[in-house]
Amino acid sequence: MARYGMVMDMRTCVGCQACMAACTAENQTPFWNGKFRTHVEDKAQGTFPDVRRVLLPRLCMHCENTPCLSACPTGATFMTEDGIVKVNYDRCIGCYACCIACPYDARYAYDREDVKKEEELYGKFTSHQQPHVDKCTFCDHRVSEGREPACVSTCPTNTRIFGDLDDPNSEVHKLATSGKAQALNQSLGTSPKVYYIPS
Amino acid sequence: MTFVHQEVWHWQIATYLFLGGLGGATFAISALIHLFEGCDRKMLSVAVMSSIGFLVLGTIFLLADMLQPLKAIYALTNPRSWIFWGVIFINFYFVSAIAYVIPLLEVWPKINPYIQKIPRGILDLLERFNKLAALTGSAAGFLVAIYTGLLISAAPAISFWNTPALPLLFVISGFSTGAAFLLLLSTFSKNEESWKIIAKLEELDAMLIVTELIILGAYFNFALFLPTGARESAQVLFHSPLFIIGFFIFGLIVPLALETYGIFFAKHTKKSGHLLVLASVMVLVGGYLLRYYVLKAGLFQFPW
Ligand code: SF4
Ligand code: SF4
Repeated sequence: MARYGMVMDMRTCVGCQACMAACTAENQTPFWNGKFRTHVEDKAQGTFPDVRRVLLPRLCMHCENTPCLSACPTGATFMTEDGIVKVNYDRCIGCYACCIACPYDARYAYDREDVKKEEELYGKFTSHQQPHVDKCTFCDHRVSEGREPACVSTCPTNTRIFGDLDDPNSEVHKLATSGKAQALNQSLGTSPKVYYIPS
Repeated sequence: MTFVHQEVWHWQIATYLFLGGLGGATFAISALIHLFEGCDRKMLSVAVMSSIGFLVLGTIFLLADMLQPLKAIYALTNPRSWIFWGVIFINFYFVSAIAYVIPLLEVWPKINPYIQKIPRGILDLLERFNKLAALTGSAAGFLVAIYTGLLISAAPAISFWNTPALPLLFVISGFSTGAAFLLLLSTFSKNEESWKIIAKLEELDAMLIVTELIILGAYFNFALFLPTGARESAQVLFHSPLFIIGFFIFGLIVPLALETYGIFFAKHTKKSGHLLVLASVMVLVGGYLLRYYVLKAGLFQFPW
């Protein structure tokens, strides 16, 4: 049993959005409607003349105290033994309670239109097949084969570091506990498993 | 920090919240009138049948907004979710409301033959426990009305919703719309005694509006206090003419003035009846606008 998590090293992100492209190819997310499981925020910080550009890649934080899971009436949202928060497509009724409850904008509707388009594009190799609410899975289908999530292995600058937060020898554990990395919106008590090293 | 309008729940859900509050409260108030004021079977049966209608309609709006409404039964899985409790409350409400209204429907000559098809034993039982059904029904109605607020308050990043004031506001506003609807119904009643009920409802609604104004004051005071999404939301509402004029002025202040006039000065003439109808319609429209705008002003506060 692992406790998977990620560290984002914001010092190295160049905003190329390769992670978004890799994710959408891997998970057939509805790029045609601008819906992604991971995003790169591109912000200006400070006031003129003291301004700078901040790039913040983001995805589901796989919160330990999970507001989306509490809000989900059907049990479609669940946490795996490895701490990954997932949606069971067969059980999701698409009530959106989770989308309202998530404080990190990590969810979107894979709606009827998207399912139709998916079929058009991928034929019989579709992975969603029915309307549901969708979110990042830390690519658990790859992780279980010993591979990294698609966004992590694609990132050309190694901004994304993935691994078992409980394994004291892992890089992600060392960075997450180094004191340099911080989770977002900690005051909400969600205990995210994605940490950020500020730029 | 970024503030982003929620793009998830729109007017369909606002309609559901409105009809939920209205239906729940209409039944709860009717049942209480029955328990404390006696029973005008004709009027009560119309009131309860319409309250059932409101909730059926509301539920249709809710289901229509889901991605997979046919799987809705799965919603009875996770008791930590408010929707789970909503389903329980609404079903509890339907069972009590139907059990309560069946014996009342016997007064309608056209419907009575159908009622008589129900086995005598069951009818006797329903008649005997009619007051009990009224009591459980008013509890169920209250729960449905407050649930509409609890549902949307479970949003940690929408600070305008994530406050105990919101369920309170929705329940009071729901009861005010319920009282207004019953007032509207009573003005059509031909029963000589109905003016007594009208006077009671008028007082009740005026009291509820005053309470709603107090809660609104506290709610906006809280919202404006910190530089959070709640403050942004409050600003959005202050800049929405329909919220200020439609809800606040014509949905609260004017009906309150009309009702106060009715309570103290009007002698229940035909003219005061017209004013009552006007006040009730305004409260109902205002109740809908409140929910529509509270949903619309829901702003996520994201940490980037
Ligand atoms: S980031 Fe949102 S979707 Fe992901 S676990 Fe936390 S609440 Fe759920
Ligand atoms: S939309 Fe699906 S995953 Fe989200 S709360 Fe509803 S049932 Fe659960």
